[in-house]
Amino acid sequence: MSHYEAPIREPLILGDKSYHDISNDIAAPIEGKANKWWWFVFSVAMIAFLWGIGAIAYTIGTGIGVWGLNNRINWAWDITNFVWWVGIGHAGTLISAVLLLFRQKWRMGINRSAEAMTIFAVIQAGTFPMIHMGRIWNGYWTMPIPNQFGSLWVNFNSPLLWDVFAISTYLSVSLVFWYTGLLPDFAMIRDRATKPFQKKIYSLLSFGWTGRAKDWQRFEEVSLVLAGLATPLVLSVHTIVSFDFATSVIPGWHSTIYPPYFVAGAVFSGFAMVQTLLIIMRKVSNLEQYITRYHIEMMNKVILVTGGIVFVAYLSEFFVGWYSGSLYEDFTYLSVGAATGPYAWAFWALILCNSVFPQLLWFKKLRTSFTFSFIMSIIINTGMWFERFDIIVINLSRGHLPSSWTQFEPTFVDIGIYVGTIGFFFVLFLLYARTFPVVAQAEIKSILKSSGNNYKKEH
Amino acid sequence: MASNKKYWKSVEELKKSSSIVEKLKQNEFVEEIPTDQFLGDKENLTASSTSRRDFLKYLGFSTAVASLAACEGPVIKSIPYVVKPDDVTPGMADFYATTMADGFDFANILVKVREGRPIKIEPNKDIATGITNARVQASVLSLYDENRLKRPKANGKDTTWKKFDAEVVSKLNEIKNAGGKLVFLTNTCASPSIGKLIKTYGEEFGNVEHVVYDAVSESAALDAMKEMYGVRALPDYDFSKADMIVSIGADFLGDWQGGGFAPGYAKGRVPKNGKMSYHVQIESNMSLTGGNADKRIMVKPSGQIKALLKLYKAVVNGISTRENSELNTLAGQIVKAGKKAVVVTGIQDKNAQLLALAINKKLQSEALDTVNTRNVRHGDDAKVKQLITDMNAGKVSALFMSNVNPVYTLPASADFAEGLKKVKLSVDFAISNDETAQLSQYVAAIPHYLESWGDVMIKKGQFSLIQPTIKPLFDTRQFQCSLLKWLGKKESFYDFLKSNWNNNILAGKSWNKALHDGVFTKEFEVPEFTSTVDVNAAAKELASIKGAKRELTVYTTAGMGDGQQANNPWLQELPDPITRTSWDNYLLISRIDAEKLGLKNWTVDNGALNGDLVNISANGVNLKKIPVYIQPGQAPGSYALALGYGRTDLQKEMNVGVNAYPFSGKFFHDLGVVKSPGEHEFACVQLQHTIMGREGDITRETTLAEYISKPKEEWNPEPKYSLEHQEVTEDKVDLWRKFDDSIGTKFNMSIDLATCTGCAACVVACHAENNVPVVGKHEIRVSRDMHWLRIDRYYSSDMSIEKGKEEGTFGTGEYFDEMTHPSDAPEVSFQPVMCQHCNHAPCETVCPVAATSHGRQGQNMMAYNRCIGTRYCANNCPYKVRRFNWFKYFNNDEFDYNMNNDLGRMVLNPDVVVRSRGVMEKCSLCIQKTQATILKAKKEGRPVRDGEFETACSSACPSNAIVFGDINDKSTEISKKEEDDRTFRLLEFVGTKPNVFYHLKVKNKKEA
Repeated sequence: MSHYEAPIREPLILGDKSYHDISNDIAAPIEGKANKWWWFVFSVAMIAFLWGIGAIAYTIGTGIGVWGLNNRINWAWDITNFVWWVGIGHAGTLISAVLLLFRQKWRMGINRSAEAMTIFAVIQAGTFPMIHMGRIWNGYWTMPIPNQFGSLWVNFNSPLLWDVFAISTYLSVSLVFWYTGLLPDFAMIRDRATKPFQKKIYSLLSFGWTGRAKDWQRFEEVSLVLAGLATPLVLSVHTIVSFDFATSVIPGWHSTIYPPYFVAGAVFSGFAMVQTLLIIMRKVSNLEQYITRYHIEMMNKVILVTGGIVFVAYLSEFFVGWYSGSLYEDFTYLSVGAATGPYAWAFWALILCNSVFPQLLWFKKLRTSFTFSFIMSIIINTGMWFERFDIIVINLSRGHLPSSWTQFEPTFVDIGIYVGTIGFFFVLFLLYARTFPVVAQAEIKSILKSSGNNYKKEH
Repeated sequence: MASNKKYWKSVEELKKSSSIVEKLKQNEFVEEIPTDQFLGDKENLTASSTSRRDFLKYLGFSTAVASLAACEGPVIKSIPYVVKPDDVTPGMADFYATTMADGFDFANILVKVREGRPIKIEPNKDIATGITNARVQASVLSLYDENRLKRPKANGKDTTWKKFDAEVVSKLNEIKNAGGKLVFLTNTCASPSIGKLIKTYGEEFGNVEHVVYDAVSESAALDAMKEMYGVRALPDYDFSKADMIVSIGADFLGDWQGGGFAPGYAKGRVPKNGKMSYHVQIESNMSLTGGNADKRIMVKPSGQIKALLKLYKAVVNGISTRENSELNTLAGQIVKAGKKAVVVTGIQDKNAQLLALAINKKLQSEALDTVNTRNVRHGDDAKVKQLITDMNAGKVSALFMSNVNPVYTLPASADFAEGLKKVKLSVDFAISNDETAQLSQYVAAIPHYLESWGDVMIKKGQFSLIQPTIKPLFDTRQFQCSLLKWLGKKESFYDFLKSNWNNNILAGKSWNKALHDGVFTKEFEVPEFTSTVDVNAAAKELASIKGAKRELTVYTTAGMGDGQQANNPWLQELPDPITRTSWDNYLLISRIDAEKLGLKNWTVDNGALNGDLVNISANGVNLKKIPVYIQPGQAPGSYALALGYGRTDLQKEMNVGVNAYPFSGKFFHDLGVVKSPGEHEFACVQLQHTIMGREGDITRETTLAEYISKPKEEWNPEPKYSLEHQEVTEDKVDLWRKFDDSIGTKFNMSIDLATCTGCAACVVACHAENNVPVVGKHEIRVSRDMHWLRIDRYYSSDMSIEKGKEEGTFGTGEYFDEMTHPSDAPEVSFQPVMCQHCNHAPCETVCPVAATSHGRQGQNMMAYNRCIGTRYCANNCPYKVRRFNWFKYFNNDEFDYNMNNDLGRMVLNPDVVVRSRGVMEKCSLCIQKTQATILKAKKEGRPVRDGEFETACSSACPSNAIVFGDINDKSTEISKKEEDDRTFRLLEFVGTKPNVFYHLKVKNKKEA
C-alpha cells in the first residue's frame, strides 16, 4: 500500500502503530477479560436500570398519576428526557454520515462509538413517548396499521405521529448504517477467534464477510449511499421533534425558530455526550492513541459552533418575545418573567450551562484539555436537559389563563425512570464496549500512513 | 298467530314416497352408526395406538379444560324486569316534583329518576323558589351516603323498630303519667303537617313545647320583623325592583336569610335602556356578594354597625351635610333613589335588623316585601337558650330532636350535652349518627328527603309537597311516621298528609295536580298591625356595642352551608368561589394583619398552596393549629372562619377542618391569635389570583358610563390581525378551509358575566350530570381537579401596565412580581370556564389517534375509547379545560368516595360513561342531554323548541347567566345573545373560534 504521506500533516493515530497493532488493540477488550472497574460500573448501571424498570412497572400498573404531572402541566420529565435523549442521538449520525461526506478523516477514530451511542440514546428516547401514554397497551394505535376498529386511522395532522415516523426511521437507518460498518470488523474478530463459540457468534454477525475486493467495493458504495440517506435525517428528526412544540398555540412553544435551533442544540448535546463517553473510554479501553487530543479539540470546535447557534437562538427568542409586546410572551422560558419567577433557577441553569461556560472553549489550552473537556461535556448535557425542561415546564406553567398557572415537582418515579434510562444506556454501552470493536479498525487502517515522517518515532 | 310457513329441508321431501324421508321420520340418523363395527373388532381395538400415556394426556387435558371452564370472569348481573313497573321505561328518565327542605336549604325541585334511581336534581323553574344552589344540586348524593344511619339505635346499639317503639312508648307513657314535659326540638320545617302533628301531641300530652332551632340562626331578623310588622318570618326582597342596593354585611347572593335572591338581583345587573342597579357592599369578609358589588367598602364588623347607624341617622333622621364622607354620599344616593333603594344587613343583632327595616320603611322601598314573607328560618335563640337551662334544671322529661345537631352546632354545646343527660327520654331523629345522636338514648334513623313524604311552606301562601322518589334504602322511618305511630294511630303518614291537605289546604282542588306541580298557592289575609317599636332606642342600644382590636365572625360557604351535608364528597371537593380552596376551612385574615402577626401563605415546589397555623381564642374557646388564608379584600382587623367543617362522625376523608360553631351566636367575638409552629397544606385550585393585565382577552369589563356613551369598538373591540401589514379582522386570516355547518343543529353557549354571581351551582350540576370523579384533597392540591366546569376568580392588582410604564418598572421582574399580588381592596371578577368547543380546536389537530375530533353540531368531541392518553391535547389547550384520569378513580380504595361503593355508584348517570384510567375527559356540552332532546322532538315529529336544549350548567344556573341552544336557528335566544354588543370570546385572538361566548360585565361606577 502506498499512501501519499504529507510531510506536515499531523497523525490521527499516535504511537507509530502497525496494522497488526491496530487489530490487536481493537480486539483486546473483546478477547480479554473484564476488569474490576468494568464490573463495578456495570453493576451500578444495572441497578439503575432495574430501578427504572421498577418505576416504569409502577407507572403502568398504577397510572401516570404517580408522576408529578397535573392538569395544566401534562408533560414534564417524560418529554424532557425524550427530547434530551433524541438530541444526544444526533451526534452519531452527524459524525458518521455528514463527516464522511465532508471527508473528515478524524471521524474514523470515534464514529463507531458515536453511532453506538446514537442507537442506545434513541432507544432510551423511544421509551418515553411509550410510557408517557396513559394507556400504553393501546400504543400501537399510533401506527397506521389496517385495523378492524371501523374506519379509524391515525391523525396525520399530529406532530406526535410525525415523531413516531421520524424516530423509527432514524433508528432503523442508524442501525443499518452502523451495522454495515461493523461487518469487516466482526469478520476480523471472527478470524482471530480461537474459542469455537465465539467464532460461531462472530461468523453469524459478520454475515459471511470474506474481504474480497468486491466486498470492499460494495461496502464503500453502501456506506456512501447510507451516508446520503442519513444526512437529511440528522436535520429532519429534531426538526420534527421541535414541531411538537412549534405547531402548538402555547406561548413559548409557538415559535418558528424551533427547527434549526433544535437541530443545533441536538448536535451540541450529542457531541458533548460523545466527549463524555470517549474521554472515559480512551482510558478504560486503552485507546489513547486512537482518540487523541486532536479529536477532542475538533469536537470542541463543533460544540463551540453549535453552542453559538443555540446562544443566538436564545437571544433571538428573548428579544422577539420582548419586542412583540405580547403579554403572553412575558413568562415564556426565555423572558424576564422566567428569569425572575419561581423557575429562575432553571432559567439561569440553562443560560450558564449552555451559553456562558462553553465560551471558555475559545481558549485553545482549555479545549485541548481532557479533564476540562470532560467537565464541559457534563455541563453542556446538564444545560441541554434544562433547555428542554424549561421549554416544557416553564411554558406550560405560565399559560394563557393566569387562573391555571401552577408548578411541577418530580416524584421519585419521575427521577427513577430518568435514572433508569441512564442506567440502561450505560448497560448497553458497557456491553458494547466488551463485545464490539469499538473503533472502526478496517477504516482506521486506511489513515494510518497519512502523516509526515517527522511525527513518527517520537514517542 | 300460528305460522303457516313450511320449511323444506331438501327437495327430496317434495317427492311423495321417498325412502329417505320415510326413514328420517322413523330414525334420528339416516344411516346406522357403526358402533359395532368399531367396538366389536377386539383385535383392532387392542392394536389401536392409544397408549396409557395418551390416555393420561386426554385425562389431563379434559380435567384442565373442565376446571378452566369452571373459572368465570366477573359476572355483572343485569336483570330485566319480569313485570315492568308502569312508570319505569328502561332508558327513559322520569321527573318528579318535590321539595328540598333540610332546615337550611329550601328549594322546589324536579328529581330525575332513571330506572327507579334518583340521579339528578333540577330546579322546578315554574316556581319562584325553584332555585338550586350547589348544596341542593349535591343533595342527591347525600341519599347514597354510606355514612347514613341504616336502622334505629337504642342506647348506642342497633335495634328493631318494634323494640324501639315499645320502649319509647312505654317511657312516654310514664312521662305522661308523671306530667313531665315533652319538648320537640326541630329545625325550621315550615311544615303544616308537622305543625299539626305536634299540635296533636300537645292535645294528647298537655305539657308539650315546640322549639325551633336553626344552626345558622336568623333570630335577630325574625325578632325585628315581629316587632316591626307583627309576623315572626323573614321579609322577602326583590332586588330586581331596586336601582340602589346597599348591603351592610349581608351576603344575599350567598346564604343570607336563606338565600335565593340571585335571580332578582341578576335582572337588574344587565343594562337596559341605559340603566342598571347600583350595588354597594359594606362588609368585612370578601363575600360572593361583595365580589359582585359595584362598590365595596371594607370595614370591621363593628364598623358595619357604625355604618348602619350612620345610614339610619342620615336617611331616617335627615342628612347631615357637615362632613363629606363616603357614607354621607352613599346616604345621599339612597335618599335620592327613594323607593327604588333597598338597604339590607347581615348584622346578627335585632336592633341592627330593626334599623335596616326602618330605613326601608322610611324609603318605602319597593324591593322589600313584608307581606309575602319567607318561612325558611324560624329558629328562636331565646327559646333554645331557655331549653338548655330547663334541661339542666331537670325540667324537661322527654326531648324529641328532629334534623338538628345541637351538640355540634350550638356555641354552648357542652351545656346542651350536659342537659341531655338529665332528660329522661331523649330521641334523636337523625340521618346520620352525628354528635347529638351519639349522646341520645334513642336514635330513630330517618330517611333522606328523596325517600320521604312531607310538605313545606317556603313562602307565605305557597305550599310545597315533598314526595319520595325511591323506596327507602335502609330500615329507616320518617319523623312524622314515628310520631303517628306513637300516638297509636293506624293511618300512614301519607294518608295523614293527604287528608290534612284535602281538609285544610287544597279547598277542593286536586291533590294529584298539586303533587304533580309540587306546589299549591293560596291567598292569605293580611292582618293589620301597628308597630310600637322605638327604633331610635334600638339605635342607641346598637351604638353601645363596643368594637375590638380583632373581630372574628363566622360565615357559611357555598359548598358546606351549615355542615349537614359535610359527608358529601361533591361538596367537599367544590372549590369555594372566593378562595377557590376545597376540603378545608381556615381563618381568613387580611394581608396587613398577617404581616403584623408574621403569617404567610406561600406556594411550594409543586405549585400547591401552604399556609401558617395559628392558635385562636374567642368566646372562651381555644382552637389550636388553625390554618390561615390571606384573603384579599378582608377588612384589616376582621377575621372569619367558615361553619360546617370539623364534624367528627364522618368518613375519614371528609373529616376536615375545624368546628367554628363555638364562635357563632353573636355577631362578632373578640379574637386572640398566636402563631403556631407548623404549616398547613391547602387544596387550592387557583394559585395565581390576578389576571396579569390580560383582562382585555379574558374577562372583559366596562363601566356603565362607557357602555352607554361610547361606541362598541372602544369597550368591546374585536381582535385585529396583521395581514400584509394591514389590520384585518379574524375572518380574513384563516389557516383552514371553511366548513359549512349551517345545516342542522349547531350548539352555542353564552355566559353572561354581568349576571353570573359565581355561586357554583353549575359546577356541582356538571359534577352530577357527567359522572365526574371525586379525587380528594391531595389531588386537588396538586392541580389535578377533575371539574369539567370551573369558575375562575380574578382579583385586581394595584399594579397595572399603565402604572408600570409610569413608574418605569414595566417589564422588569419587580413589576411582574407586583402584578401577581392582588390588591388589598380588589375588584373581583368571576368567569365560568368549560371546554370552549373551538371550531378550530388546537386539541383536535395534535391527537395522534384522532380521539378528539369535531362533531357536526359544533361540539369538540372526546372518544374515550380511542384515547391513548398522550395528553398533548391538554397541553395545547389554551383554556386548560381538559382533565386527565391520572388514576383509576372508581373501585379504588385510594379514592374512597362515592364511586368506590355500590351505594354511591347508584348516583351515576347511566347515559354517561365512567372514564377509565389513562384517558382524557372534558365538557361534552352534555351531549347525552342534547341527543335525547333531538330524539324526543324527532319522535314527536316536530322541530326542537327554543329553550328545550339544555346542559346541566345552563339548567342549574339560578340567574340564567348560562344560555344554551341552536345558533343555526335564528329565532332562538342564543342567536339573539350572539348578536349582542357585549359578546366576546375567550382568548379570541388565538383564533380558536369557540362555540362558547361570553357577555362582558358592566359595572355601575359612580363618581364618588
